[in-house]
Amino acid sequence: MTETTVASPGTPGGSQGSPGKARPGPSGFRIARFRDLALVPAILLLIVVGALIEPAFLSADNLTNVLQQQTELSLLVLAEAMILIAGKFDLSLESTVGLAPALGVGLVIPAASNGLGTDWPTTLGIPICLLIGVLIGAFNGLLILRFKLSAFIVTLGMLIVLRGLQIGFTGGQNLFALPESFLYLGNARWLGLPASIWICGIAYAIGILALGYFRHGRSIYAIGGNVDAARAAGVRTDRVVWIVFMIGGFLAALSGLLMTGRLGSVAAAQGDGMIFTVFAAAVIGGVSLDGGKGTLFGALCGVLVLGLINNILTLAGVSAQWIQAIYGGIILIALMLARVTSGKAQD
Amino acid sequence: MKIRSSATLVGLFAVTLTLSACGSSDTTTTPSASAGSGSAAAPAGGGKVGIDFPRADSDFWNSYNKYAPKMATDLGIDLMPPTNSQNDVAKLVSNTQAMVSQGAKAIVMAPQDTGAIATTLDQLASKNIPVVTVDTRPDKGKTYMVVRADNRAYGEKACKFLGDQLKGKGKVVEFQGSLSSVNGRDRSEAFAECMKANYPGITVFAEPTEWEGPKASAALQTRLTQHPDINGIYMQAGGVFLAPTLQLLKSKNLLVPPTDPKHVFIVSNDGIPQEFQAIRDGQIDATVSQPADLYAKWALTYAKAALEGKTFAPGKTDHDSTIVDVGGGRLEDQLPAPLVTKENVDDPNLWGNQVK
Repeated sequence: MTETTVASPGTPGGSQGSPGKARPGPSGFRIARFRDLALVPAILLLIVVGALIEPAFLSADNLTNVLQQQTELSLLVLAEAMILIAGKFDLSLESTVGLAPALGVGLVIPAASNGLGTDWPTTLGIPICLLIGVLIGAFNGLLILRFKLSAFIVTLGMLIVLRGLQIGFTGGQNLFALPESFLYLGNARWLGLPASIWICGIAYAIGILALGYFRHGRSIYAIGGNVDAARAAGVRTDRVVWIVFMIGGFLAALSGLLMTGRLGSVAAAQGDGMIFTVFAAAVIGGVSLDGGKGTLFGALCGVLVLGLINNILTLAGVSAQWIQAIYGGIILIALMLARVTSGKAQD
Repeated sequence: MKIRSSATLVGLFAVTLTLSACGSSDTTTTPSASAGSGSAAAPAGGGKVGIDFPRADSDFWNSYNKYAPKMATDLGIDLMPPTNSQNDVAKLVSNTQAMVSQGAKAIVMAPQDTGAIATTLDQLASKNIPVVTVDTRPDKGKTYMVVRADNRAYGEKACKFLGDQLKGKGKVVEFQGSLSSVNGRDRSEAFAECMKANYPGITVFAEPTEWEGPKASAALQTRLTQHPDINGIYMQAGGVFLAPTLQLLKSKNLLVPPTDPKHVFIVSNDGIPQEFQAIRDGQIDATVSQPADLYAKWALTYAKAALEGKTFAPGKTDHDSTIVDVGGGRLEDQLPAPLVTKENVDDPNLWGNQVK
């Protein structure tokens, strides 16, 4: 029925597509695109509301800000969406966001700046940071796939352990004295846009292509939909899922790197509590918690919805006492709008 | 300070861990003790003093955590190995129970959730164990003494300084701490009242941040796009907001010396060494130094006094502070919190200059 996904029936948006052009088109390719677009009406509505509330909203600077502020979150959502589609869970991503850059920085800065005293060459900082992300993903995979432990509990434990390791290694201190290389990616501008936006865009493009059109990517859907069937069909399920976990860890470390650069320090609580926003964005974007369903484009739309809501609430100057209630309310309205316009039950 | 959002799942998991830990009463399994060797001193008259640290992931509290065992040695207090409640009131409750079963005769704590600690305070009162709270005042329940800086004064000092520097005109962004904590509330209210009363020409943008750096950074970035002429910032906690703010201003080319007309005037709260360095470098203009050393010193002094059966009355004290009756006979020692600017940033008495 569709070319983009293997386990297609529940992809967000449903086969009715968006209003107006709702009818299933002659080509499967087009239907698949509509299915991804369930949140687009909500995004358009938010943009209209934002423009009405504050003229500065539509300025290029402001829209760039919205994108840049969401880059770290969007990388985590990309990682989590792939893992969810493969039918697994990873809660530990938010702690990787803190631990990976903390170790990467801590190993290369002098002990006087709260470093670990190893004083390795600063060029190693970023490779260490990314490598730690991959190793954490590999370790999660080891426990879940080889030792057959529950992904939920393993990664919940890892969430606590990794945060504890970061506080243990750094003594709970924020790391302020960062090498230039760490600041670069969070601050540089390429062709007029912040580098982090390009990085996210490229990561999503690769992800969407891989999951939509390549054999290994599509096998992730097969595994999430029915792991036994996938194995019977010749997919090396454990290996694929393991790689997905490692990519997830890598993306979390990259996200931590961008955040470190943008905020100019590694806070002891960096990434703390992010995982709930990550799940919110993924689920709003139509990724199923049961595995096998959802698209990365949908997840990206989920991130954009949350980012736009945040931006509008700030511009409107909503008072601190009410901001959470309004934030939650708007998310519910966006979900209902997606449900009405797509005409398909969400799960 | 910030209510951490590591939500229910994690909370539940952690609670089960700590609960099972405090089941084994008289062993040394104090949950997650940090900065161990506190009980070196010879016991003083009264008995053991238990102490719980609220968290170990902020520069301010880490300093407090380091001062406490030192001060206990100086005062000759038999301090039990400190526990760490990681900003979680459920952990604080189980840590307290563990300390009581290990024989604590007085307890020092810093409950960050000022409402949910009330029943624990009542239980401790029924066992005649005096409690000294640091940094926060519980909403209700019996306490022997509250040791706290006057957080309303933080907001007022910041407002006066910014108002005078901006000569009563301009736009100011305020990073509000979590409004569910008494400190965030006090600072926000006092700042808002003072601005309204004294500097009506200044527009204040109060940004809710829940004590989180990324939220503050995003809010400031958005606000600067909307109002490029913002010329003042009040951050209620330097430890979390300093680096993100400086980094953002740098990327917007707004991190310029006070002599430049584009300079954004910044007042912070906390008084950590990095803020002092930023003041020396002309990046920020002032901070209110929250006395980590005095918190530790006077909390333990009062714990000792409680064991010796002393009582206190409202009024001036011998250490530049005032004891206030905050209602229902509960006493609060409001310690001084000096404003630090370029003039006095090198004062060796400031705790931020004594670290390391």
